[in-house]
Amino acid sequence: MSTLKIKNLHVEVEGKEILKGVTVNISEGECVALLGPNGHGKSTLLNVIMGHPRYKITQGSIYLDDLDLTNLSTDQRAKAGLFLALQNPPEVPGVINSDFLRAAVNSTSEEKVSTYKFYKLLDNATKEVKMPFDLATRSLNEGFSGGEKKRNEILQMMLLNPKITMLDEIDSGLDVDAIQTVGEVIKKQKETGKGFLVISHYARLFDLIQPTRAIVMINGKIVLDGDTNLIKRIDQNGYEFIKTELGISIEKENLDMNQVSIGSCAVKEAIKK
Amino acid sequence: MILKDYQEIKGTELKLDEKFVVNANANFSLFLDGINSDSNLNFELKENSTLLLSVIQETNLENTKITANLQQNSTIIVYFADFSVKNCKPQILINLNGEGAKADFHLASLAASNDNKNLDVSIMHNAKNTYGKVDNYGVCKDKAKLCFAGTSHIINGAVKSSTYQNAKIMVFDPNSDAIAKPILKIDENDVVASHSAAVGKISDEHLFYLTSRGISLDEARNLITYGYLKPILKGFNDKEKTRLTNLIEGRL
Repeated sequence: MSTLKIKNLHVEVEGKEILKGVTVNISEGECVALLGPNGHGKSTLLNVIMGHPRYKITQGSIYLDDLDLTNLSTDQRAKAGLFLALQNPPEVPGVINSDFLRAAVNSTSEEKVSTYKFYKLLDNATKEVKMPFDLATRSLNEGFSGGEKKRNEILQMMLLNPKITMLDEIDSGLDVDAIQTVGEVIKKQKETGKGFLVISHYARLFDLIQPTRAIVMINGKIVLDGDTNLIKRIDQNGYEFIKTELGISIEKENLDMNQVSIGSCAVKEAIKK
Repeated sequence: MILKDYQEIKGTELKLDEKFVVNANANFSLFLDGINSDSNLNFELKENSTLLLSVIQETNLENTKITANLQQNSTIIVYFADFSVKNCKPQILINLNGEGAKADFHLASLAASNDNKNLDVSIMHNAKNTYGKVDNYGVCKDKAKLCFAGTSHIINGAVKSSTYQNAKIMVFDPNSDAIAKPILKIDENDVVASHSAAVGKISDEHLFYLTSRGISLDEARNLITYGYLKPILKGFNDKEKTRLTNLIEGRL
């Protein structure tokens, strides 16, 4: 059983410290809900774990079991068994979805997958996420609807079979039926013993996938690590109780909330300014 | 030379001042396997004719003019694949002389090592209701220089004409020199026109996305670049498609 170990992680973007000492472990078989207000570093944490070049680690470490990922390239992290479903998957014109998927499958599996086997895998996976097969023959995410992009992320997860999957608001932009489909796929993967770290602002997704643990991130730190009652409590009452019970004041974002729309990373938006 | 249904001609077999004629109402394809330096090629498209012209350029090309004159309701579609080593500096001019004449021009160019390329694609709208579209895509690597120039000109009186220019260059290295300068000259009010130019490196977000799926940085770059040049393949038959694919992979 593999464990992703984040220890005292400090991260900067363009001189601004976003993560201020994050320590958390996630093991296979666990499904961890990552909660917290906008702009407090949730998406940043996921991107840093995956090795996004924008973010600079100033202190701390990321391990998968005994393998130090802190200085590894993004593709090596993926090969080690990490997967990140992006909040806003980019459109990459000209790159055919199935070519991309095949290159990804070949990179992450030990031996080259035959054409026949690949198409069988792809066929099964597209059926499971209820995605029309012809999307596989189009340019990667180009002209896909919001829901199709998110289904395509889940499809990639299924094909690559990672040990630990991180989902960054996989439910934003999905209609009720699509959330149901995506939720079922995740639940099924979870039952096979995979690990999950999931950001969402909505209890609906968590009701479907039933996390085993919940953590709350405030001011670039994990301030609560507890059972899943936290999800219900936050869904009903918001984050106010953290101020009153834990004595932590929630830093206001520098950014006017009107400028941050749902489905975008608040930290990235704030830095753009 | 009067063209036939489909013809393949090697550049070495061409006269420097070859004139090609497409007869009225004809529908022809011509594949030019390379063009010689110092050429002055001329295409005459008669009424209601259509020419699909595909070019693969692998050798040096300098001091070369390619001119097409289009009569009423004729159409020229050009796919120009420039994978030449060293220089490529053609001046291409399409004159839309007859009412309803159309030009659809596609270019893919790869400049690497010390290549110096300047591709000029111009369209003259000399008659009413004419249509011109230029799509130039380029990749610039190492110390190469790549420039997309060209003027689309709609003269006074060429009403209801439309013209579109699109120039994009992907830059790989700090020493690469890429310029895109599409120019529009419009002397008539009742027209539709647009132009766009973009020069830049591969998006970091795209590279992150591809590498986050286990694809190496080099392979991710190749996939994106290949996808960028690929639209040019549409203008070629299967044999030439394979050849172009190999050329792209070889030169990247």
